[in-house]
Amino acid sequence: MPRRIGVHRTGAMLTAVVMVAGCGGPGSDKPQGDATGTAVSSAPACGKAPVTLKGYFETGFPTPKALTTEFTRQHANVTWNIREDQFAVITQNAPRVLADDPPDLMRLPQVSDLVKDNLLKNLDGYAKVFGWDKWPASQLEQLRMGPGGRPRGEGSLYAMGLNYSMTGVFYNKKLAARIGMSSPPATLAELDAALAKAKQAGITPIAAWNGGATGGLAFPLQNLMAAYGPPGPINDWIFQKPNATIDTPPNLTATRHLEQWIKAGYFAKDINAIDYAKNLGRFVGGQGLFLFNGDWESAKLDKDMPGNAGFFVMPPAQQGTRPAAMSAPLAFGISARAPHADCAAFFLNWVATNSRAREIAVQVGGSHPMGPAGGHMPAIGRGTLTAATLAGATQVSKDGTTMDFIANATGAIYAKSWTPQLQKLVAGKQTPEDLLKSVQNDYKSQLGS
Amino acid sequence: MAQPTLGPARPDVAETRPGGVAKARGRTPRSGRPGLRTSPWAGWLFVLPAFAIYAVVVLWSIALTFQYSLYRWDGIGPSTWVGLRNYGKVFTDPDLYGSVLNAFQLIVFFSVIPVGLGLVIASTIRRIAASRLALVARTVLFLPQVIPLVAAGLAWSWLLASTGLVNQLLARVGLGGATRAWLGDVSTALPAVGVIGAWVLLGLCTLLFLAGMGKIDPTLYEAARIDGAGPFREFVSITMPSLRQEIGVCLTVTVIAALASFDIVYISTQGGPGDSTMVPGLEIYYLAFSQREVGVASALAVVLMALVILCVLPLQWLTREESS
Amino acid sequence: MITAHREVWTGRVLLIGLMAITVMPFVSLFVTALHPSGTYPPGLDWPSHPHWGNFTGAYRAAHMGELLKSSTLIVVGVVPLSLILGTMAGFALGHLRMAGRRLVFLTFVLGLTLPFEGIITPLYSQVRDFGLLNTRWAIIVPLIGLFMPFSVFWMRAHFVTMPKELSEGARIDGANVWQLFWRIHVPLARPAISSLAILLFLWTWNQFLLAIVLVDDPAKRTMAGALGAFQGQWGTDIPLLCAGSLLILAPTLLIFLIFQRRFVTALLQGSLKG
Repeated sequence: MPRRIGVHRTGAMLTAVVMVAGCGGPGSDKPQGDATGTAVSSAPACGKAPVTLKGYFETGFPTPKALTTEFTRQHANVTWNIREDQFAVITQNAPRVLADDPPDLMRLPQVSDLVKDNLLKNLDGYAKVFGWDKWPASQLEQLRMGPGGRPRGEGSLYAMGLNYSMTGVFYNKKLAARIGMSSPPATLAELDAALAKAKQAGITPIAAWNGGATGGLAFPLQNLMAAYGPPGPINDWIFQKPNATIDTPPNLTATRHLEQWIKAGYFAKDINAIDYAKNLGRFVGGQGLFLFNGDWESAKLDKDMPGNAGFFVMPPAQQGTRPAAMSAPLAFGISARAPHADCAAFFLNWVATNSRAREIAVQVGGSHPMGPAGGHMPAIGRGTLTAATLAGATQVSKDGTTMDFIANATGAIYAKSWTPQLQKLVAGKQTPEDLLKSVQNDYKSQLGS
Repeated sequence: MAQPTLGPARPDVAETRPGGVAKARGRTPRSGRPGLRTSPWAGWLFVLPAFAIYAVVVLWSIALTFQYSLYRWDGIGPSTWVGLRNYGKVFTDPDLYGSVLNAFQLIVFFSVIPVGLGLVIASTIRRIAASRLALVARTVLFLPQVIPLVAAGLAWSWLLASTGLVNQLLARVGLGGATRAWLGDVSTALPAVGVIGAWVLLGLCTLLFLAGMGKIDPTLYEAARIDGAGPFREFVSITMPSLRQEIGVCLTVTVIAALASFDIVYISTQGGPGDSTMVPGLEIYYLAFSQREVGVASALAVVLMALVILCVLPLQWLTREESS
Repeated sequence: MITAHREVWTGRVLLIGLMAITVMPFVSLFVTALHPSGTYPPGLDWPSHPHWGNFTGAYRAAHMGELLKSSTLIVVGVVPLSLILGTMAGFALGHLRMAGRRLVFLTFVLGLTLPFEGIITPLYSQVRDFGLLNTRWAIIVPLIGLFMPFSVFWMRAHFVTMPKELSEGARIDGANVWQLFWRIHVPLARPAISSLAILLFLWTWNQFLLAIVLVDDPAKRTMAGALGAFQGQWGTDIPLLCAGSLLILAPTLLIFLIFQRRFVTALLQGSLKG
């Protein structure tokens, strides 16, 4: 392969490069389509003509598809074309898909960055028409953001939840009986004691996943953070309020506590290679006493481990403090350029108000539906996980100690920051101090842009 | 390669065209510039379609990549000029230059192992290269080249899992203590990805060398044997020099595969755990499409393209025989 | 000193060992695919009740018929046009007198080592601006351009070996350049063209990056890109994923086994020339 690059050829290339660079920069100067228009017709609906809604959902979670199937049953002219992907892939694809191949309804990983790029439809108009702003305000708080996507917690509505979830700790009742744990631990110290006993008895104390692009240790980490300190500052950080930081003393104590758990061998050795689904399989199969997860799995665990699974909200470090928990809406959004936005919004309203839909949300999803207070709820078996998680959700909501997930602070903080840092922590290649500093640095550089 | 047979000779030419005899038979006086005498534009017409689509797709895109690398852009909205700042980021951000270092580490697995092992294996099976077993082997050893790289990555992810076949075999031979989740352990993830690449490329290199060895005159080996040379001396003095071109080819192909790796890493580790398997190709993809940092992605892309050329040029120069 | 006999036996053992390592992942995929859906079978473990139904399940879940059609359409779009353009350009650069052909050839050679990730970002912008995102053209047109350097290089390498007298004779007979090309040289180049076709077919069918970036709908991607989508959707169900992977591998494997000698020769020469 003759390869003598002549001087004249390099010169020609450089000239071309300079010329190209000299022209104006790429990209348009006009802002992306007007996503701030909020005027909607008085009664957005799906009409009577056949319509196909394009959806982009998360794989492995049956609730959205159960809801769309029921919706088609009640509104026969609406069919769905659903694409599914794993959560990490949805996170990667979200900006590109919303901009260039807009779905009508999409499971949203993290909302602020998408709003900043004007990719999501402003739902204020629908909220007014459908009366969403009459619901308890805390339900929609996390879905509101100011202009440009920050701060969150106030402003226009840019996404809607199919339900709102609640997280805590599931446990295997049989294994708990083996170590003599008859009731859920009430303080962090009791939880630590139970973990130590489990380890001694040869049981894997915590079933966790930390592989791929979604580091599951963020769940116990955030639970520990909430056990040690008030949820307010954590929420401020997640909501991108000015001067918020994750590198606080209580959070450092929490991270050190997590490191102690890792060093004590409370997690399986290979969690850096285990993904969410595989870990769930392990817990169901009896390989793990505790599972830090959310109520979206209540219904499945009730089915796969009948009578054998329990739930408790993460206990605080100090006895008597009100426990806090992550609780977030299962965020779905309408693309700014969705072809059938009205019908998608109608569907979202239907999910929150139709009795059958609310039943599906609880029975299949295990989580509390959105909607007006006192909305229809199906009868829930006593002693089931669903009952336990719903009760927990009601409690923290009343106490006002809910928080969003630290993974949702920015679009890339989970995949590019929390996950690699937590994986390094597991491998012993990162210290708690540097972990928090590193995440805070990434946070600032991702925002400060 | 089978040389195509020459077309039928035209014996009647000389007889029917007396005037043309001289032209047809004589050598046209042209100094060292082969090429059919036709209008100079005929050639251009033939080349133009191919060149046009190449220019539009490839050359223009390379130029655009240069352009993007000098701006800060999210892919849709307006862009801002930042000059060489993106390149600064590429060389100072440990995540970014770390990916380049990972790619170089992969070269050891993708290149050195297939070439080295391929040479050894090829010279060991040289004697049976014509047997039926070898013919079956030719087909089998080529399978990894035929399947998509993602399929290889998927299959091996499953093999390397903590309950996968590799650990099962290790336990069987008594090395149970070494079992682990190979792709999930920061210290073994990159070598594990390297092993996948070596599996894909080993067959190709082995067969290339076998084919090349077929061209070596066997009397050379006999002479060496008579002189008392052992197999090692044979290998070093006869086999390797004759295979210079094939070694160069194998090295080039595998080095490019290592530097430009994407498919395997995407499907098996997505760059994790931590950043231990992040490679430039994957980093460019994330930066451009997921983090919407088109400028930095393009700067990394330019660096990657330059690296490939910088690595391949010396290889070609060193191993190419002097041919036009 | 190793005797010839022992050399032969070492060789045989080595070959068999190598083949075993090569085949190991395929066997593992196959065995795992037979396990009940949703389980995580350990290592190589023949299931007590082989679930052959997983294959039909995967076939339906992946809409294999559509995937085959899509991949075939893309190959039909890429390969014939690339062959024609590459052969024409190779003929001109290798056999005709042409001003500046050294420069043109070197420009093509520049693209031989280009990693696709190097230009994927502007490709995306260009494809989007032309409105071709999420269509098969988004894969076809860039691939033709990206394969052009190799196609031209390959065909030129063939045409350079064609003797001038052949063409001069035909020219004397009054053939114009096109007839010379089409009637005389193309038939002679058939082995080179068919080898190139095989290589291009393989590279198109197995193209992954362009498929996942430029096309969202798996039914419009290449088989390799569709495998990416299949893993995205069903990746948590390992036996189903293994079954689907095998099904997606099957067409290339089948074609390879049928045309093995052509393939192997083509791939070996492809590397030597490249």
